Amino acid sequence: MEEKSLATKKPGPLKRILQRRYREFVLIAQDPVLFISLMLCSIFLLVFIFYPIFQTISNGFFNTTGQFDLTYFTRFFDAYYGSQARLVFRNTMTMGLLTALGGTLLGFIFAYTLVRCDIPGRRWVHILALLPTVSPPFALSLSTILLFGRNGLITHKVLGMSFPVGSNDIYGMDGLVAVQMITFFSAAYLMLRAMLERLDPAMEEAAASMGAGRFHIFRTVTLPLLIPGIGGSILLLFVESLADLGNPLFISGNVMVLSAQIFLAISGEYNYQKASALALVLLIPTLIVFLVQRYYVSRRSYISVTGKPTGGQHKESNPWIRWTFIGITYLACLLVVTLYLGIIVGSFSTAWGTDFTPTLMWWRLMVTRGIEAILDTTFLSVLATPIAVLIGMVVASLVVRKKFSGKDVLDFGSNLGGAIPGTILGIGFVLAFSTPPMLIVILLYMVLSIFLVRSLFDKPREQLIVLALGSALGMGLSFLDGPLGLRGLYYLLGGLSIALGLYFHWGRGMKQRGQLLLLLGGYFFAYDLSDYLAMPIATLSRNISGGFWSNAIYQFATYVKVPFQLPPIFLAAGLIFGGLFFVKPEKDSWRLALAIGALAISCALTFTDAPLALVGSPFIIIAAYAVRSLPASVRAGIAALQQIDPTIEEASSILGADAQYTFRKVTLPLILPALLSGLIFSFTRHMTSVSAIIFLVNARWRIVTAAILSEWEQGGISIAAAYSTTIIIFVLIAIGLLYFVTNKLLKGQGSVDLNLGA
Amino acid sequence: MFLSLKNLVKIFPPRGGSTEVTAVDNISLDIAKGEMITLLGPSGCGKTTTLRLIAGFEFPTRGYISLDGQRINELPPHQRDMSMVFQSYAIFPHLNVFENIAYGLNVQRVGKKELRERVAKVMALVELEGLENRAPNQLSGGQQQRVALSRALVMEPKVLLMDEPLSNLDAKLREQMRSEIRRIQQTLGITSVYVTHDQIEAMTLSDRVVVMNNGIIEQVAPPQEVYRHPQTKFVADFIGRANFISGTVKGVAGDALIATALGQTLHLTNIQKSYATGSQITLVVRPEMVHLHDQEGTYSATVRQAAYLGDKIDYQVEIRGQLLDVVESDPTRIAKIYPAGTKISASFHESCIHLLPAE
Repeated sequence: MEEKSLATKKPGPLKRILQRRYREFVLIAQDPVLFISLMLCSIFLLVFIFYPIFQTISNGFFNTTGQFDLTYFTRFFDAYYGSQARLVFRNTMTMGLLTALGGTLLGFIFAYTLVRCDIPGRRWVHILALLPTVSPPFALSLSTILLFGRNGLITHKVLGMSFPVGSNDIYGMDGLVAVQMITFFSAAYLMLRAMLERLDPAMEEAAASMGAGRFHIFRTVTLPLLIPGIGGSILLLFVESLADLGNPLFISGNVMVLSAQIFLAISGEYNYQKASALALVLLIPTLIVFLVQRYYVSRRSYISVTGKPTGGQHKESNPWIRWTFIGITYLACLLVVTLYLGIIVGSFSTAWGTDFTPTLMWWRLMVTRGIEAILDTTFLSVLATPIAVLIGMVVASLVVRKKFSGKDVLDFGSNLGGAIPGTILGIGFVLAFSTPPMLIVILLYMVLSIFLVRSLFDKPREQLIVLALGSALGMGLSFLDGPLGLRGLYYLLGGLSIALGLYFHWGRGMKQRGQLLLLLGGYFFAYDLSDYLAMPIATLSRNISGGFWSNAIYQFATYVKVPFQLPPIFLAAGLIFGGLFFVKPEKDSWRLALAIGALAISCALTFTDAPLALVGSPFIIIAAYAVRSLPASVRAGIAALQQIDPTIEEASSILGADAQYTFRKVTLPLILPALLSGLIFSFTRHMTSVSAIIFLVNARWRIVTAAILSEWEQGGISIAAAYSTTIIIFVLIAIGLLYFVTNKLLKGQGSVDLNLGA
Repeated sequence: MFLSLKNLVKIFPPRGGSTEVTAVDNISLDIAKGEMITLLGPSGCGKTTTLRLIAGFEFPTRGYISLDGQRINELPPHQRDMSMVFQSYAIFPHLNVFENIAYGLNVQRVGKKELRERVAKVMALVELEGLENRAPNQLSGGQQQRVALSRALVMEPKVLLMDEPLSNLDAKLREQMRSEIRRIQQTLGITSVYVTHDQIEAMTLSDRVVVMNNGIIEQVAPPQEVYRHPQTKFVADFIGRANFISGTVKGVAGDALIATALGQTLHLTNIQKSYATGSQITLVVRPEMVHLHDQEGTYSATVRQAAYLGDKIDYQVEIRGQLLDVVESDPTRIAKIYPAGTKISASFHESCIHLLPAE
């Protein structure tokens, strides 16, 4: 009745929307699993995607003294800088457009040849077409220069060409577009192949039965049906091309494009305002295309991509057409093979261009000087993988299984971090996490603490008491890190939880909960103790004569500390959720006291030691990796979950299985193939990413892709080739492992969908 | 009561610009031990939501559910000691028939020997012997149905829930499974809640039918009662076919109610409650309660349509401007068809006509 009287009063539209949202929020809060996972995902998206992007965008409008300043935007219309600035923009668009068109055409030829032309060696052609997706983005530039550059193996050595100043060499727009076409055509190939395979042959048969000729059919039936695919592929490749940093840095020569200019604004001028302003200029076309692709083209599709492949496909009957397509495909494959061989040969050559004598020198140099970068990259990639996949699966299950408004934002946000140019994200990370982002930290603490008290107490009075006392106590504790030091604070907190654990274990006979507290205490102690654990390992490494083992063991000493020296704020978030389950079974005054304690510890951990100032730590690289590979995990998860009828999980539940049994025995076996491919493709994406982490590497944490770039800048072309080969080998090993596992261990339980990698 | 729903309300949050939906609106229902109840209603009436509330897949917004005297509102599905047959069967695709049926027993860590015996017993009950090692995708629709049923039965649950279990089967198989489900339910004496939109299933299967519409319960009664004495116009219309004719109460004569309808006076004896003289009523006249003849009857009527269906004839006749559906199934009378346009006379089986207060 109350609702009706409210409705008749006709509150303003905003008020009505707010009321409805609040009611929805109350209803969602009744479903704890939905609520907690929604909260975790939202926090991740807010902190690591939306906030950094916002930082990048806003930073372009303010100069170093914090005043509003449009310098770098007005430059586009400036008499002095204008023509150059506009030229860069035009170059960028030209590059994007040409790459998009050329890459899509190449992708279409591959797709058509593989689906309809009965090409000999189909399997191998398919694998070759996917090779560019698993190599670092500039591997092909590197190899193109090695083979076709001024001192290239083919251009100079074999063909004897020379390039006087001013002549058209491989550097510049033509070379850049050619390399980008090969780098990115895999995605076009996969999209168009899927569409061609799902094209119902009955439609072409129907046209033929009405007397249409083959070209007429192609023009009026086949092509229009493929338009969404072709359009989608052009848009996707346009975005990829604009975002690409590696290739322009290597091969664009005098032609400047936005992504490279952004990079140089930071690495050359250390001008973050300029970089941010340019990033916004790059972000706008990218975002528009991304939105058009996502909300317009993908909904115009006439062909259901989720449907089953329909029967047999028509084969191309005209031998001329068939062999022309096959010929072009083979030539492209030959080029791909040559380029990858070029990298390998390059890594074994003494002095590229003058002395091609085989040598192991560069490899030896790489495994001594470069082992840190290789191990760091692998270590961080591996750590980021389960995080990305876990968040991806949670987002996917929310998107597929749950109903709530704001679902689109979640879906969009999880894709955004991977879709925008990595440089923009990288700049945002540096800007957001160099100093503690107090606003975000306070917001986080408020959300988490209110969540804790609301879940534990019904009465507003109790909620307020716990909130106030816990926060005050926590603030007090957090100031102790001055006199005690952070380590001292950790010892104090560890001591507290061990004391409490002992009391629970023996005083109240609650063994399990006591042990949990003891473990927590141990973990607090390990913060400092892990240094002592790492020290002998580091000492050992110094005693070994310099080289591979010494460096590798030294790095290992660093890795030991990572799991024990998490940023305190992460631990705080974990403790809020842990605390909730720990305190919930308690009653009355114990509940009150424990809740205050849990909140105090979380509060202290949240605000101690420059919270979220992550720049320089390994965690910022892990976060950047996870953000970049999140879309692949989400897509893998959505694809897998959409195939599982939700009633299958419900059936397990009503048969008496609790959530974890259901997950273990039903959901996991069914999504395992998707989970594995999500894992592998996330790992691949981490190993090969450049643009997002290039500004985040530092002396303590090196990344191979960044190392390749710096070697290249110093002329170390062969060692760059050796690094690239190593990454490709690592990634191929991971994919091989995936194939082995899915084919041997999970016989017949679904196959690996390679499309997810693109 | 064994299973009891009290003032149950379920509101779904709004999504995608739509407003919030009240799927179940303050319903109360008591189910006795061993009883088989059918929730019947058109799609969107809240019957499936009610079942899912009982199962624990949804939690009520208000009201409470109790089982065996225990409040089970917040109890998750796996602790409710119920089992369910799903419309989609929800057979685990990665397990074979035996493993599917044994799933719940494995959760309970039932010993190997007992597990084997119980699975074998239930497989015999639904006639699935010999298919133990089949993968689900090697089964026919009817066999999958049986697997789903036996997987639920093997648990010997306190309550068996069925959500339109027969809707994916063809007509013949559906009829066969229908009587089989009733047979098994009677043999085992399992308390069952069965959701369907098919009135024949509801009428043949259940001890009591719960007719739902727009989230509320319109009527709860045994099948015969629902048909003979529908309490609302919706029930009368949804269960079988009905003609609604308005009338006025003129008085009482012994057991009969005297009323006028369509200009004639009728003696109605199938009355449930008393009506004041002069009050407006609605007569529920089933098509088979109308009698058509050549000679003089109560009403003069005109045939508007006639469809010969073999075992019966469907007529539409007009009496004083109102169209009535009439079914003639008396084998001695369907040899002759009155073609459209024929002037005939009609009379009602006055002792069968049910009354509703006028709206």
